[in-house]
Amino acid sequence: MADLRIDFAGIKSPNPYWLASAPPTNSGYQVQRAFEAGWGGAVWKTLGEPILNVSSRFAAVSFNGQRVAGFNNIELITDRPLEVNLQEILETKKRFPNHAIIASLMVEPQQEKWHEIVKKVEAVGVDGLELNFGCPHGMAERGMGAASGQVPDLVEKQTHWAKEVARTPVIVKLTPNITDITMTAEAAVRGGADAVSMINTINSLAGVDLDSWNTVPHVAGKGAHGGYCGPAVKPIALNMVAECARNPFVNVPISGIGGISNWQDAAEFMLMGATGVQVCTAAMHHGFSIVEDMIDGLNNYLDEKGIASVMDLVGKSVQRYSNWGDLDLNYKVVAEINNDVCINCNKCHIACEDTSHQCIDMYTESGRPMLKVREQDCVGCNLCSIVCPVDGAISMVERMSTIAPMTWNERQSLISSFDR
Amino acid sequence: MSDHLLSMDEMRQVDDYLERGFKVHYVYENLSGMFVEFGRQEEEVCLQILTADARKYFAAKLQEQTQL
Ligand SMILES: Cc1cc2nc3c(=O)[nH]c(=O)nc-3n(C[C@H](O)[C@H](O)[C@H](O)COP(=O)(O)O)c2cc1C
Ligand code: SF4
Ligand code: SF4
Repeated sequence: MADLRIDFAGIKSPNPYWLASAPPTNSGYQVQRAFEAGWGGAVWKTLGEPILNVSSRFAAVSFNGQRVAGFNNIELITDRPLEVNLQEILETKKRFPNHAIIASLMVEPQQEKWHEIVKKVEAVGVDGLELNFGCPHGMAERGMGAASGQVPDLVEKQTHWAKEVARTPVIVKLTPNITDITMTAEAAVRGGADAVSMINTINSLAGVDLDSWNTVPHVAGKGAHGGYCGPAVKPIALNMVAECARNPFVNVPISGIGGISNWQDAAEFMLMGATGVQVCTAAMHHGFSIVEDMIDGLNNYLDEKGIASVMDLVGKSVQRYSNWGDLDLNYKVVAEINNDVCINCNKCHIACEDTSHQCIDMYTESGRPMLKVREQDCVGCNLCSIVCPVDGAISMVERMSTIAPMTWNERQSLISSFDR
Repeated sequence: MSDHLLSMDEMRQVDDYLERGFKVHYVYENLSGMFVEFGRQEEEVCLQILTADARKYFAAKLQEQTQL
């Protein structure tokens, strides 16, 4: 049994799985049930001046029968008074002293408002604070959430205000609705953040109803942009985590959030630099019990790899994430088709013929249809192996290059020395 | 001619000039590909390289020339 405990910027948790600030962490009843189910921590539904929500609030995108490939919401922060939440945090902490409870906070960008709320939540014994600079809708129109999270100076200033009075670690939750997330991550670090978390939801409109022409979701026939999350956003979130992890100015722990649905996703985020992860959509889709498989799977993976502690995974793939200009132009892979398992659906041929490099030839052998890749024309793009429905039918295999490795940057500097 | 055959042909031409003692004097690239000016004593020739594979190959050869 591997050691799944994490130390996230000084916040201790029995495992790396926290519920993200969202409906699953709306109340003490829910968070306590989640802890019973096995979650290591919970970031409480964002606290602030209680808001009013609309009905309906959620929509999901199905893809080819796969429900909740992406999830969209127009819900705001907590609609319950601060005192009610604080009382329930106190009770929950008392019952689960070894689990991590983080208070997510959002107030107007004023120093005294940050001071007031930080002091109040720390008084009930939270283990840390998460400043929500990410909510893309509703709160942003009031100058909070993503509206302040998109302006590096405001991120820095508000982090600083929280840090002026905070005694527990301050995590800054970043919005992905920005061109370069490292700009705001760096600002958070300049403001004194002990950690950053990402991502909050991505601006989105889930769809338009083709019968009524209403937006999905709609509120009495009107819609407003929402926030997108769930499996569809994982690659976007993973890139943002990786970009921060390899940025020397973002030298604080990262909590990875966005589309994490199983232990494999979690392990990928940790390899790319996250010290722990947060989950929302997967819990909303399948319930708290998914954490059991997430714990077992991660344990088995670490045991198989002979890794004693999950903390030893953190950041192990970061140095492999580089810039395009530093990739070897002369590295070569080609597709290889295994006709023994191929079911002759021809998807690979069509993909390569129509949209890649026209190098999968069809022929017959003893009356049997066969496929073969013309290696000299294959550019190793992976497309055929991506569209192939049969595991193992197409492998991408390395071919020794006859020329030495050279990156684009090396090539450009070499060629420029032969410029006129 | 297929891209592959064209690139083989271009690589052969690069090899050919180098084997005949030509040295790369200038290299420039524009919308039409790469242009390499080879020189040997008074002789100057310009080779246009179109294919991606041959442009990669040429860069490797150029690297070898600088390391000689
Ligand atoms: C319905 C809903 C409400 C949310 N409310 C909050 C919130 O109050 N505060 C916050 O920081 N993030 C909120 N989020 C964002 C999540 O915490 C999380 O960052 C996002 O959903 C990405 O994770 P996921 O792909 O696992 O869902 C909310 C998300 C959803 C779906
Ligand atoms: S890897 Fe790309 S180029 Fe090569 S056979 Fe497959 S689709 Fe065609
Ligand atoms: S896509 Fe896969 S299964 Fe279909 S023909 Fe190609 S190799 Fe065979």
